[in-house]
Amino acid sequence: MDYIAEGVLQALSLLLAGDEETWDAIFTTMKLSSLSIAVSLALGIPLGFLLGYAEFPGKRICRAVVDTLLALPTVVVGLLVYAFVSRRGPLGELGLLFTLPGVAIGQVILALPVVVAMTATAVESLDRRLSLTLLTLGAGRSQLALASLLESRYGVLLAAASAYGRIISEVGVSMMIGGNIKWHTRTITTAITLETGKGEFAMGVALGLVLLLVAFLVNGSASLLRRRVRT
Amino acid sequence: MTGDALYEVRNLKRAYGTQTVLDAEHLVIPERSVVGFVGPNGSGKSTLLRILAFLDTPSGGSLWFGGRTFWNGGDGDAEGRGSEMSLENARSEVTLLLQEPYLLKRSVFENVAYGLRVRGGLSGEEMRERVFGGLRTVGLDPERFASRAWYQLSGGEAQRVALASRLVLRPRALLLDEPTASVDVQSAARIKEAALRARDEWGTTLVVVSHDILWLNEVADEVVHFYGGKIIGVGPENLVSGPWVEEAGGMVLRRLTDGQILRATRPSGGVSAEAVAAVDPGSLLLALSLPEGISARNALRCSVAQMLYENGTGRVLVKVAAGGLSLTARLTAEAVRELGLHPGQEVLTIVKATAFRWL
Repeated sequence: MDYIAEGVLQALSLLLAGDEETWDAIFTTMKLSSLSIAVSLALGIPLGFLLGYAEFPGKRICRAVVDTLLALPTVVVGLLVYAFVSRRGPLGELGLLFTLPGVAIGQVILALPVVVAMTATAVESLDRRLSLTLLTLGAGRSQLALASLLESRYGVLLAAASAYGRIISEVGVSMMIGGNIKWHTRTITTAITLETGKGEFAMGVALGLVLLLVAFLVNGSASLLRRRVRT
Repeated sequence: MTGDALYEVRNLKRAYGTQTVLDAEHLVIPERSVVGFVGPNGSGKSTLLRILAFLDTPSGGSLWFGGRTFWNGGDGDAEGRGSEMSLENARSEVTLLLQEPYLLKRSVFENVAYGLRVRGGLSGEEMRERVFGGLRTVGLDPERFASRAWYQLSGGEAQRVALASRLVLRPRALLLDEPTASVDVQSAARIKEAALRARDEWGTTLVVVSHDILWLNEVADEVVHFYGGKIIGVGPENLVSGPWVEEAGGMVLRRLTDGQILRATRPSGGVSAEAVAAVDPGSLLLALSLPEGISARNALRCSVAQMLYENGTGRVLVKVAAGGLSLTARLTAEAVRELGLHPGQEVLTIVKATAFRWL
């Protein structure tokens, strides 16, 4: 049992002393997850708003597809993206395999359904009286849409927090597309998975603590947002 | 009456599937007037209010507003309906206060300012002045309330903020759907006051759906009664509901809880137990003792419950009660004085059996 306590102590010293290898994995994770969430939100919020707000034929089917994609296994996404970006794949020319943009593609595929589905739900669950109220105050069609999006902002932020949680904690895509290359594509999750086996227990614990902290912050803000959605 | 017609409605219908919820034959709402809509739940008054606010589309009939035609259809269709553009323009002149207010998830200030921002053309300083003025009109101190968030308000305060956000628009018509039904007494008083002030200051026409008949009779130029989707009369109206029992001699009777009996002429087509009849308050007589040789079939022992001055006619409305039934009689001020009427007094209410109109 000693080695666990020792590992935690060593982990703290790694973090506090600014161990380069440990911190590099943390920075890489932050850079990658920021890129992934930015693209996911840029695509997902407009799509989710359309899905929740507009009426069009096939809307229910779209909704069902998006809901199904919520449960995509990360390794399947990894496999799929690998097939496309590996040298032999249709996007092989771009050289995305074992790069952060390559991993980001996979993470966007994971996070996009979360953003779209939750944004659509937030817009759909707006109070029926909202549009009546806006109309009685003289809002036109585009003002109605804009105000509806603003009214659902807490729901949209909740979608962003949930999507970020999915991105930061996934390991399948990062592993298969990124390859855990030290100083390059090694992220918190791939480092924990692979370095622990090589005896780098303290580093794994240190990174695990950071990941827990991030998860705590994301969930904390999500529960605050959830409360705000209900008022 | 106070001016030209702001609204005119003819054969206006609204149906959901096969169910017709509104069938308003004819109604004129003059500019600068105060009009009350009363009637039981589901009688079509709120539906008409929504159509007047251009939020709902009639299934048939015609509607004119401010000299413009918005729908001009025959029976059962709404041909010649206004374009979306003209509806949007009309909506900027008319505003409706919902029964249950909805506030945007923004500060009180931004809620009140929303309609003004949509319209545009005000500087920051003018905007602030208008919004603060609106809040003061509904009795909310702007210094205390303007920066509050939407969830930091009581139900009555939220309703007042919602009213303020409509008053600042200085609308041509302000439609209120049960504005005081779910608020505290103080808020109700401020809401009533503020609505009437809008009429006095900017000539806003008020259309109010309310169960507060006392208030409506006091302030309204006209009170329109709805029943079963139809307009059944203008002015105070007595509704007598069943159970009715058929009797020999072409009569139907309704037993009151104190054992007295009310008789009405049986309509040619017969009558169901749950039928409702209307009686014009002008056709009710009050007497201290039973006159001799009277032809009327009903002379009910009642007690005077309430008396109020009727706006517009200069008459007095006397509300009498007997055995679970309450009736309103319209009397001249002289008659009230001669009879020495006062609340609590016992009187005989005399009604002819033919005075009942079956709905």
